[in-house]
Amino acid sequence: MDYARYQRKKTIRKIWVVAGLGFAAYWAAVSCKVDFSALRRGLPKGIEFLGFMFPPDLAALAELVNPALETVLLAFLATVFGAILSFFFALAAASNVSPPWLRNASRFLLATERSLPEIILLLLLISALGLGPFPGVIAMSIGCIGMLGRLFGDAIEEINPATLESIQSVGANRWQVIRYGVVPQVLPSLIINTIFRFEVNIRLSVLLGAVGAGGIGYELFYAFRLLEYQRATSAILVILALVFLSEKLSGLLRKKVAPEIKLR
Amino acid sequence: MIEARNITKSTKEGVPILKGISFKVEKGEFVGILGPSGAGKTLTMRCLNGLTQPTTGEVVFTDHRNHAINLTRSQGKELRRARQQIGVIFQGFNLVKRLSAIDNVLIGQLGNINWLRSLFYGFTDREALLALETLEKVKVAHLAHRTVGSLSGGEMQRVAIARAMYQQPAIMLADEPIANLDPSNARKIMQLLKPLAEEMPIIGVFHQPEIITEFCTRIIAIKDGRVVRDGGNGLTRAEMLDIYGAEWSEMEAHRPRETPPTENPLHQAPSAPGRGLRPLPA
Amino acid sequence: MNLVIEKPYLPSQRYKRAVTYLLVFLLVVVGLCGYFGFDPRLFITDFHYLAELMGEMTPPNFEVLWRKEKVFSSILQTISMAFLGTLIGGTLAMGLAFLAAGNTSPHPAVRAVVRTGLSIERGIPNLVIILVFLIAVGLGPFAGMLSLVVGTVGVFGKLFADAIEGTDGDPAEAVYAVGATKWQVIQFGIIPQVLPSFIANLFYAFDINLRAAIGLGVFGGAGIGYEIHMAMKLTRYQDGLALIFFTIVLISLFEKVSDYLRRQAIGQDVLK
Repeated sequence: MDYARYQRKKTIRKIWVVAGLGFAAYWAAVSCKVDFSALRRGLPKGIEFLGFMFPPDLAALAELVNPALETVLLAFLATVFGAILSFFFALAAASNVSPPWLRNASRFLLATERSLPEIILLLLLISALGLGPFPGVIAMSIGCIGMLGRLFGDAIEEINPATLESIQSVGANRWQVIRYGVVPQVLPSLIINTIFRFEVNIRLSVLLGAVGAGGIGYELFYAFRLLEYQRATSAILVILALVFLSEKLSGLLRKKVAPEIKLR
Repeated sequence: MIEARNITKSTKEGVPILKGISFKVEKGEFVGILGPSGAGKTLTMRCLNGLTQPTTGEVVFTDHRNHAINLTRSQGKELRRARQQIGVIFQGFNLVKRLSAIDNVLIGQLGNINWLRSLFYGFTDREALLALETLEKVKVAHLAHRTVGSLSGGEMQRVAIARAMYQQPAIMLADEPIANLDPSNARKIMQLLKPLAEEMPIIGVFHQPEIITEFCTRIIAIKDGRVVRDGGNGLTRAEMLDIYGAEWSEMEAHRPRETPPTENPLHQAPSAPGRGLRPLPA
Repeated sequence: MNLVIEKPYLPSQRYKRAVTYLLVFLLVVVGLCGYFGFDPRLFITDFHYLAELMGEMTPPNFEVLWRKEKVFSSILQTISMAFLGTLIGGTLAMGLAFLAAGNTSPHPAVRAVVRTGLSIERGIPNLVIILVFLIAVGLGPFAGMLSLVVGTVGVFGKLFADAIEGTDGDPAEAVYAVGATKWQVIQFGIIPQVLPSFIANLFYAFDINLRAAIGLGVFGGAGIGYEIHMAMKLTRYQDGLALIFFTIVLISLFEKVSDYLRRQAIGQDVLK
């Protein structure tokens, strides 16, 4: 194929891709009810609204400390439960530790969990268990299992099976092989991913809080509902501080625990 | 001590790899197994400690207390108890790289301690001291608390030997223990194994005929899944050619010689006239 | 030769340490659970509520998928929210990335400003963004789409900027050397290097945005998330389960499709 034809073919392909994207974007815009006049009218409203939000209600800050702590603890508990459970799911999902049928079953379960957004899970759990932190923790834990379970499973599969076999060859049983062959090898990656997931869970617990799990997200949502915008601004400030601190903390811990391991 | 009785093994597709291997190894023997690659040496070794179950035939192992255990038929606890008394050294060392050397040695006793306790690293101080002494025997006690991943190949293999020794086995299996090591380290490892053979029989797979003839008391050759030679030390060239076939000449070519030939012509003694530099006339 | 093991390495000491850590950890967790009135045993004692709900949800009423016209259009809404959010957000992110990358930015001050802006944007939770847009343009998919745009710009703007900064300088210098302008250097020296990773990351962004669109729908009153929310609220549990099933299928399907398209587009997996 000569160069001119190659170029022409490339250009035609580019045109097709752009046309396809444009077509899809047009219909997506129709379905999304994109309305730029609404945006034009709305933007001044939004900016005016931002004016309502200032100055933040500093008096409310003290009241918001407790909900903020609740959000952190919610995220913490969910991370702990999720990480512990996901380790067992990961063992079941690793081909060098568990038989193929168990591996496939576990992988399928993990994939299903991952494709179910936490907020939908929470809606389900709230219907069953009522409002409160309990369904929030469970929903986030399950979300944790979906993500961490697969990451841990992949980490375990990277272990050389010969090492595990050599521990078997001294007469160790299955749990001992896991404790001495698997755990030390994957521990740094486990810790790092768990810390990262904690960061994610902090953001998530703000969102889930608004649906009914409580905490700072709930405060923010209701401040908006009750048109107490200055209080909402304080809540936003608290959330920003939480997110920022959790990011810094996880970065610090990550560097301390395993500086050589890269986050995936 | 350990006896293989006519073991055969086929792949899933039914291709036979081992076609009836029998031998018996007694106390005081240092057996070297050799044979061309793909002959079934490693598979034989795996059958000897039950990591692979033979298709037919059986392996009988006699432990410290003179109990005969049929490795082929036993499972679960019984198999684990037998494995506890069979030390294995691997070509790839197969240590847990993120654990320290002494922890890797302590793994050798996992079969003997309560497994629930072992989940919390519940070894006793006495056991740890014993492990350290074992490391001292293979001369790496100073590396006891280093992570194994940071050690060199020779050091790792010493730790692996210490782990096998710490099991206090009734027999030691070594699957190409020196194949990944340089010649001087290989020799040192063999010198460590040699005195051990007086306490317990050692069965090892080796590729270097000169190492086998120097250290082993008995040589078993496996070819095409069968034992083609089983007898005392002393291998003739004709025998080697018979065992290895075409592979032999290649091995000859790659074998390290006692005095490596010098490549640089300037270092060669100018013996023949007209070649190299002639000594200046006095 | 007498051998000794230093105290911190003694198994008995390590055992004690491990058990202490474990106890402290358990105490913290138990204490936190107590503080919240969160009793893990509830999971067992309250399990029958979940089981009852499951009982009420089965069999899933799959008819809802074609009986109600609105369901179909809400699915389309969710997908188009994610698509437009990725397309517009991704384009903006690419543009900003060139301003935020040290080797293409017109001025260090511009770089600093854009970088700071992006990191602030990333810090703002999704919830806040959607609430603000809801006030600005009212309930509906448009607000959700706009907040996805903002979220995409924040996350992927930084990622793209880092990718640009990570490019190999030699090809760019070679283009400079033939007397090209800065624009030409970007076009011929830098874009070819970063484009595959941009495309791969855009597919990844679409996967993320699709999930986020479902979540935002709950707040924004649009899309399949809202339908599920309403179905659960109105205790039409069988419809709810059908919709949840459908969501799972949808997301896994789009994951597979975007995997396939990504491989088609760039030939290999360059996702970081």
